[in-house]
Amino acid sequence: MGTEFEKSKPNGEDEQPITVARRIPETSEDGNSEVAETLGHTSRAVITYSAQSSIRNPVQLIRDIAMDFWLGRELAWRLFLRNIRGLYRQTLLGLFWAFLPPIANTAIWIFLRQANVFSMGDTQVDGTVYILTGMILWQAFIDAFQMPLAMLNKNRNLISKLNFPRESLLLVGIGEVLFDLLIRLLLLIPAFLIFQVTVHASILYAPIAILGLVLLGAALGLLLMPIGSLYQDVGRFISMVLPFWMIITPIIYVPLTTFPGSLLNWVNPASPLLLLARDWLLLGTTSHFATGLIFGAAAIPILLIALVVYRISIPVLIERMTA
Amino acid sequence: MNLSRSSSSDLILDVDHVWKVYCRNLKRAMWYGLKDVGREIVGGGRDRSHQNLRTGEFFAVRDASFQIRRGECLAMIGPNGAGKSTMLKMINGLIKPDSGSIQISGKIGALIELGTGFNPILSGRENIYINAAVLGMRKREVDSLMEKIVEFAELGHVINDPIKTYSSGMRVRLGFSIAANLRPELLLMDEVLAVGDVGFRMKCFKHLNELVKQGVSIVLVTHAVGMLQRVATRSVVFGQGKIVHDGDLETGCTIYEEMLGASDRIRAKKKEESGRAGEIGSVEVCNELMEPQAEFETGEMVRLRIQINAREKIKDARLVVALCSPVHGVLSSVSTPYQGIHFDVDLPGRVITLEIPKIPFLIGAYHFNISLFGPEKVDFYHRSSLRGVFRIVGPPTDGNGYGINGITKLQHSWKING
Repeated sequence: MGTEFEKSKPNGEDEQPITVARRIPETSEDGNSEVAETLGHTSRAVITYSAQSSIRNPVQLIRDIAMDFWLGRELAWRLFLRNIRGLYRQTLLGLFWAFLPPIANTAIWIFLRQANVFSMGDTQVDGTVYILTGMILWQAFIDAFQMPLAMLNKNRNLISKLNFPRESLLLVGIGEVLFDLLIRLLLLIPAFLIFQVTVHASILYAPIAILGLVLLGAALGLLLMPIGSLYQDVGRFISMVLPFWMIITPIIYVPLTTFPGSLLNWVNPASPLLLLARDWLLLGTTSHFATGLIFGAAAIPILLIALVVYRISIPVLIERMTA
Repeated sequence: MNLSRSSSSDLILDVDHVWKVYCRNLKRAMWYGLKDVGREIVGGGRDRSHQNLRTGEFFAVRDASFQIRRGECLAMIGPNGAGKSTMLKMINGLIKPDSGSIQISGKIGALIELGTGFNPILSGRENIYINAAVLGMRKREVDSLMEKIVEFAELGHVINDPIKTYSSGMRVRLGFSIAANLRPELLLMDEVLAVGDVGFRMKCFKHLNELVKQGVSIVLVTHAVGMLQRVATRSVVFGQGKIVHDGDLETGCTIYEEMLGASDRIRAKKKEESGRAGEIGSVEVCNELMEPQAEFETGEMVRLRIQINAREKIKDARLVVALCSPVHGVLSSVSTPYQGIHFDVDLPGRVITLEIPKIPFLIGAYHFNISLFGPEKVDFYHRSSLRGVFRIVGPPTDGNGYGINGITKLQHSWKING
């Protein structure tokens, strides 16, 4: 009775990247014998922990990260289900809580606009749908941006006591952000019907821009995570500047095209992909394709660097959690 | 030392000259943490030379080396803050050594805190899936083990109820049961044996013994040294970050008990003041031949030679001697009046010897607390604690029910009736 582990590596070639070593041998019917069988192997995975920085071997580092994403997928799924189930089991309104924030935010701005507190410019579609869409996208970006630090803080106990693929927490985090986003996007269906918005084919590419927006947010959040975990000042600062950040992002108004206001579209990382996604969702045409593409493309290397920073900083952060 | 090239293929853990630096000052620790992250990212590494401590830093682990072979159960013991848990965290890969290396050849399972990751709202069954996933198992594997886990935890009747309705003992049982059924090659356990009721604890020990027999290696960290002999065969004793003993369990436990005593002794010495009319001077533990000796076997003669110094003559003095264990406290207290001994102490003093013909105690470290009184209750001269430290080193005890165990050797006999 061989284990699954042995079947896949019949010649005892279980010399695997170090992260694989965390895997526990699978169990067969005769539960007691599999350890002895596994022990029979002559060559085995060897883990080495030393003071050396893993960045000295970048190829291996990237491979380890990719491997841990793969190994952590099931854990991520379990944790995701746990959080979602746990989240709504003790509420009366349940999933309604996912809808509420963007509706409330939109309602506030619609009210202010009707009171002529500010002007939106020519939105080409109904202002309510315009603001609602912007709000939903902004919320996704901000959720993604705040996710890494929130994930780390929420799972301090788990991280500091158990060794598991740390990348799974990021999968859970991204999963939760996307889950909330999808639920909120459902709001657009009644909104489109009520305000008679024409559906364009470009709505099909919108998910690409939205995904880029979420990944860019997550990458920036990841880069801030080590400092944010050590110094709570970071978290406080972020919650303080968020309203300003939202204001300089063209959510409740049409993006400025004249200098120096147009500069904001270039320095605010939230702007280009949000504008592109919203144009694709609502208008069918866009003047933000080039900036969106640049920021989308930049998101990939930024995300890679952020993942490396995440992986390297976790052991140091654990030390400071317990010291 | 390189495991992959080493011929001894049954070596599962090799800790090689490992150092770990910590910082207790919170503000500094945060700043150093940030600098360390930065240094790691630019590839600087952290292999700092041993002398190069930054302000406020200290060595939590210094130059620790030890190895574990397959099927060995090792106990890491030592006082609080001696570096045991730090060592365990490094072996588990949670934190990195600052110098030296740790090589592990096999799959690690860690029981650092039972039930980490339980969600109180979800049922026991749902939580088994989550907990097992955290520990690296897939759903299919858990499915095949589900019955075993539930049965071992003895929770069949409540497994579909939310965890928040469980008692703390039930949660512990569930946590141990999940981890115990994972079957790693190296199992790390931190203070998890001290929980649960006695019956379940025995079951855990039995299970651990079975694992060891199957070739699983175990590293236990605990303060409850009394329970260790049920599973552990070897001990590594940490003192202030250093390994002070690596070898058999009995000696290790004795050294640990002595260390506990030593820290008390330093405290006691500070309190002591001078200038009394009479005081306890030198104290020596001797054998039958009145030669100083520190190690005895159960049943041997122990003589305690007590020098009493006097500045004034003490008429009708009383001496009270308590034999103590650092772990269990006072084991027995005797006094000179009890046996009708009355004596005076003239200037400059005199020597009194207490003879214990057959020391009844079993393996461990012991010491005496000695007090000097005059004839009346209130005539107190001096009390001297933690004197005459000695060890009982044999014969071996047995915690598995085949020999004798505990603190003292009981005079006894068995009769089979019917």
